[in-house]
Amino acid sequence: MAETEGRLVPAANRYVPSQPFWDGAREGRLMLQMCLDTGRFQHPPHPLSVYTGSQNVEWRQVSGLGSIYAVTVVRVPGPGLAGRLPLIVATVELVEGVRLIANIIDSAAESVRIGAAVELAWDHLGDGTPYPAFRTLAQGVADAQD
Amino acid sequence: MARTDVVIAGYAETRVVYQSGRSAYDFAGLALSELLGKTGIAKDEIDGLSVTLALSEGSNPFFAVYMADALGLTPTWLNVGGIGGCSAAGGVARAMWAIREGACRIAVVLSADAPSTAFRANYGAYRPEFQDPQGVQGPPATFGLLMSRYDHQYGLDPRALGKIAVTQRAHALRNPNALDKFRKPLTMDDYLASRPIADPLRVLDCVMYCDGANAFLVMSAEEARARGIEKVAHPTAYAEVTNHNGADPLADITDSGFYRIAPKVFAKAGLTPAGIGMFQPYDDFTIAVLMQLEAFGFCAPGEGSAFVRDTDLSFTGTLPLNTGGGQISAGQPGLASGGLNLAEAVRQLFGEGGERQVPGVRNALVTGIGVIPYGRNWGCSAAMILEV
Repeated sequence: MAETEGRLVPAANRYVPSQPFWDGAREGRLMLQMCLDTGRFQHPPHPLSVYTGSQNVEWRQVSGLGSIYAVTVVRVPGPGLAGRLPLIVATVELVEGVRLIANIIDSAAESVRIGAAVELAWDHLGDGTPYPAFRTLAQGVADAQD
Repeated sequence: MARTDVVIAGYAETRVVYQSGRSAYDFAGLALSELLGKTGIAKDEIDGLSVTLALSEGSNPFFAVYMADALGLTPTWLNVGGIGGCSAAGGVARAMWAIREGACRIAVVLSADAPSTAFRANYGAYRPEFQDPQGVQGPPATFGLLMSRYDHQYGLDPRALGKIAVTQRAHALRNPNALDKFRKPLTMDDYLASRPIADPLRVLDCVMYCDGANAFLVMSAEEARARGIEKVAHPTAYAEVTNHNGADPLADITDSGFYRIAPKVFAKAGLTPAGIGMFQPYDDFTIAVLMQLEAFGFCAPGEGSAFVRDTDLSFTGTLPLNTGGGQISAGQPGLASGGLNLAEAVRQLFGEGGERQVPGVRNALVTGIGVIPYGRNWGCSAAMILEV
């Protein structure tokens, strides 16, 4: 199983409490950390709100809609990459005003470009745990970035 | 008027070697011995020590203390350089502050690393959960993303990046400390034909982890005079910033910390970009060099490609660039790499550039970069202006 054996399933809650992210993923919901005082999202998660310094943060579901802010194709081997090359990696800017680094899957190569609208898709780690990825939407759908 | 009361009174640099089989401690011993030999300072006179953390010894939280032990030093001021490629210039700045404060008199700023022999660093934090699963373990993917965005906003000419690589390689050919493997000429065609590793990043845009060390001697100008040390360099300006735009998830990722610190170092030294005699920027990737040319005002944002195309960046040119080959063509000795650019600046200012001496050069702009954060550019930016 070269495709998945390197995609280790990381332990949750080692950096900051992150269980809601993983529970959400198993239910097909993308959960990100939101600062309740400002209503702004932050990702990766932090031990406090980077906007205010308070710990008034909670995990909330996001739409999974956004656009590609930056994109590359990883072509060299590395840990967890066996069987996955070439691998499309993008910075996706969500309509909620936060960016994620994510793989773009199930998309025509010519559709993967900066500014392209994307929606949430689900990829899988070694043991089948769902992990968020994105796929491009047909042209004409919301183009939040450009 | 920039302060000139504390100086760099000596430097040492080992050769850059791939998979040497030797430790950071061993390389540090080599660098310190050379430094003592060149400057005539006795080991026991050293009472200040700055040690750059090493990838190869990343599991030891007391690395700096073990280093003092390894070298038989008894510092009354010990600094840990934890800002990666900014740690050499940052260590010199901190040593200057410590000397002015009276915490020590004679400081050594030491950077040694051997990641091509042993890699024992684990960044932890959010990476296992939120960055590694996507296949973004190493810097290339992040720099591929950065380059794609830069290209989208401004246009990125591969030939400009190629010129940086080719120019620096030509300089490495004249640097006996450069990695042997890189001591052969490189052409633009070689660059353009080199394989993409994270589009549009090519393999010849990148550094290769190696082993090596460097060391700098810092003391008051008065102390140097009293000891008959004639060659000194004055660090007349230093600035650094960590986590620039860190609390803005929608920041323009082509906006680096250098935009914040460039005006500070120029103002402090009383210089302008046009007055800079040579540029020795931290060069983990060619795009970082191009973006720094813009951030320091050698050209406007987005005009880096045209500027590189139109400017002679050779050691005899109008803006000599990384005259020892930089890390891209001399090899990157892990986190000791920031000292590679700094050592070349000091060497040139001492008039010891040999076959690559910049004629009549009186100052240098040296920079550092540390760590590649999530989806932005780099985590730490540092800049130092040195003058003679």
